[in-house]
Amino acid sequence: MSILVNSQTRILIQGITGKQGSQACREIISYGGGDVVGGVTPGKGGQEVEGLPVFDTVFEALKVLGQVDVSMIYAPPLLVCDAAFEAVEAKVPLVHIFAENVPVLDVCKILTLASEKGVRVLGPNSVGAISPGEGKIGSIGGPNPDAVFSRGPVGVISKSGGMCSELGNLITSGGFGQSTVVGVGGDLLIGTTFSDLLVDFEQDNQTKVVVAFGEVGGSSEIEAARLLKEGKFKKPFIVYLAGKFAESLPKDTALGHAGAIVGLEATMEQKIKVLRASGAIVAENFEDIPTLIKKSI
Amino acid sequence: MKLYEFEGHRIFSKVGIESPFFVVVSSVDDLDQARRKLKFPIVCKVQVLSGRRGRGGGVKVVTNEKQLKDFAVEFLGRDFGGEEVRFIVLSEKVDIRAENYISITYDTVLKSPFMLFSTKGGVDIEEVKKSDPESIVRYDFDVFDGPVSRELEKLGIPSDFALRLWDAFYKYDCRLIEVNPLALTGEGGWAAVDSKIILDDAGLLRHKDLNILPKGAVSAVPTERELLAHEIDAEDYRGTAGSKFIEFDGDIAILASGGGASLLVMDSLFATGGKPANYTEYSGNPPREKVEKLTKIALSRENLSGCFVAGAVANFTDIYETLSGFIEGLRQVKPKVGFPIVIRRGGPRQREAYEMLSKVAKKEGYDIHLFGPETPISVASKMMVELSDKYKLKSQRANLKSAN
Repeated sequence: MSILVNSQTRILIQGITGKQGSQACREIISYGGGDVVGGVTPGKGGQEVEGLPVFDTVFEALKVLGQVDVSMIYAPPLLVCDAAFEAVEAKVPLVHIFAENVPVLDVCKILTLASEKGVRVLGPNSVGAISPGEGKIGSIGGPNPDAVFSRGPVGVISKSGGMCSELGNLITSGGFGQSTVVGVGGDLLIGTTFSDLLVDFEQDNQTKVVVAFGEVGGSSEIEAARLLKEGKFKKPFIVYLAGKFAESLPKDTALGHAGAIVGLEATMEQKIKVLRASGAIVAENFEDIPTLIKKSI
Repeated sequence: MKLYEFEGHRIFSKVGIESPFFVVVSSVDDLDQARRKLKFPIVCKVQVLSGRRGRGGGVKVVTNEKQLKDFAVEFLGRDFGGEEVRFIVLSEKVDIRAENYISITYDTVLKSPFMLFSTKGGVDIEEVKKSDPESIVRYDFDVFDGPVSRELEKLGIPSDFALRLWDAFYKYDCRLIEVNPLALTGEGGWAAVDSKIILDDAGLLRHKDLNILPKGAVSAVPTERELLAHEIDAEDYRGTAGSKFIEFDGDIAILASGGGASLLVMDSLFATGGKPANYTEYSGNPPREKVEKLTKIALSRENLSGCFVAGAVANFTDIYETLSGFIEGLRQVKPKVGFPIVIRRGGPRQREAYEMLSKVAKKEGYDIHLFGPETPISVASKMMVELSDKYKLKSQRANLKSAN
């Protein structure tokens, strides 16, 4: 078992003819898990990418291909809203948005429509998700996911794509594999949050422990802590929080991720306090994570 | 991007929100011209992004020429709470009957916009939350529908003003919009006496007509390096480099990669006793030219004693391309870089990149130390600090010798 993606996941790629879209397509095919069935690029219907059909709209694509499990959006930031609306209207169960720099108003509209239609969104600015040995969506792990990811009992969550791989690398070298590794994206508003994933990981038999990479700004860690307190997540939860240095900067200072804003909603100290009180394990040092995994399972 | 108060008022004027008449002044010489458009008493306000202007004496009602000039001389070009005052606003004094508060922003848990309104305006809303929380009403609404008049009225929120405020928020891609105080005037109308707007950086491309002044990450006035770093992304949409560039007092230049890893890199460096000269990052597989430009900017600081190029194991960023950009930039730094360079990276074409880097280091005489994904970022950062300390000691000795 795993969450979000497995070997049978049927995938559509919106923006499949672009540089990053076609590369993601090739990478998923070569990984051998996750089944890309076709793509969409407005105006390029009738073309092929890696032997797969390209359509002008999601509607046309699904008419020919049948329903898919995931649509991955690799469109330029200002076109993401329209692309996502198409996928949401077509009720594709999971819409993954890779693009960075999507305006927050557009994201708000996408998420509102998605929740009305019962569609789940991963991202924006999400690198994707991988269930090692089974399949992947997005660009996670790049051309060679096996270099850092391996199959096992650890669920991993991070806003940052780079840190997904870094955590995979650290945990694999520490002797543990991963059930599913998910990059949720670093934007102010995101479709799938830490706590949404904790609920999924709780249900997943393969997952014995979850590791999350938290950041300065936002409330995802506080929300996760609430879930633990309410008893909705009972497995060990290990969190590392990055960006302590930024606490000395003025409030509202924005860092690497659009959602990493100093003083937004909770300070680092508050996060650590609330997490500890909820029973989460807060890692002091990033490299301590494998040891903490060992202790907890 | 946080706006100056007067930039906010200009946005308000586009949606029919009234503000007191004002003139922006950037030098003492502008005063005569400005004075002709206004009658005493005049409200003088320094323009800084930090807020809390009242406490530092940055807002004052003046009643004659001398007071006006004194205010301008006291503040223009001076430091106010860590920011240089580039502008002051001179505005008419309106007859205020009551001071209210209103704001719109996003709730990141509900993922929808909401409005706060309070009849206790004119003071910091955080204080009102503590002293009189019942005076604050919260209104959550749908992004597609916007606020609904009769619901606003039921909550006691002035609906015409609130709808116009939402209009501005929606049209101009705001992340936060706040009016405090929102004044009920003697004539019975509503006026925005102050404005605080934070625009969504990702939406700026849709509003090139807004004519907003560039801002720094930490203070209103960006440093020269910050401005240069911001230009990198403006010229090329592929990947990002330098969109965040914050300068610190330290002596180790930072070129970090990735939103998450860059935080880890900074934390590690501080934890091992290092003092960064800056924070910046590139990510999303930028072309080599972007990294080259960012390298030149970060290494243009004087008295550096190290350069730390660090990031996580990349998913899709081409390490050979980006580090080739680093080398190109490094070669252009004058005088030639003699301080230690520590690189810690992983990902696509990392081995090729490291072979190239070792060759260049040997051939061209750079002190480059390479670490792959098997070395934790914290270990590499400790190495950086040790090497930089040794370098400083050596330079001090060399200086002493030459002084003798």
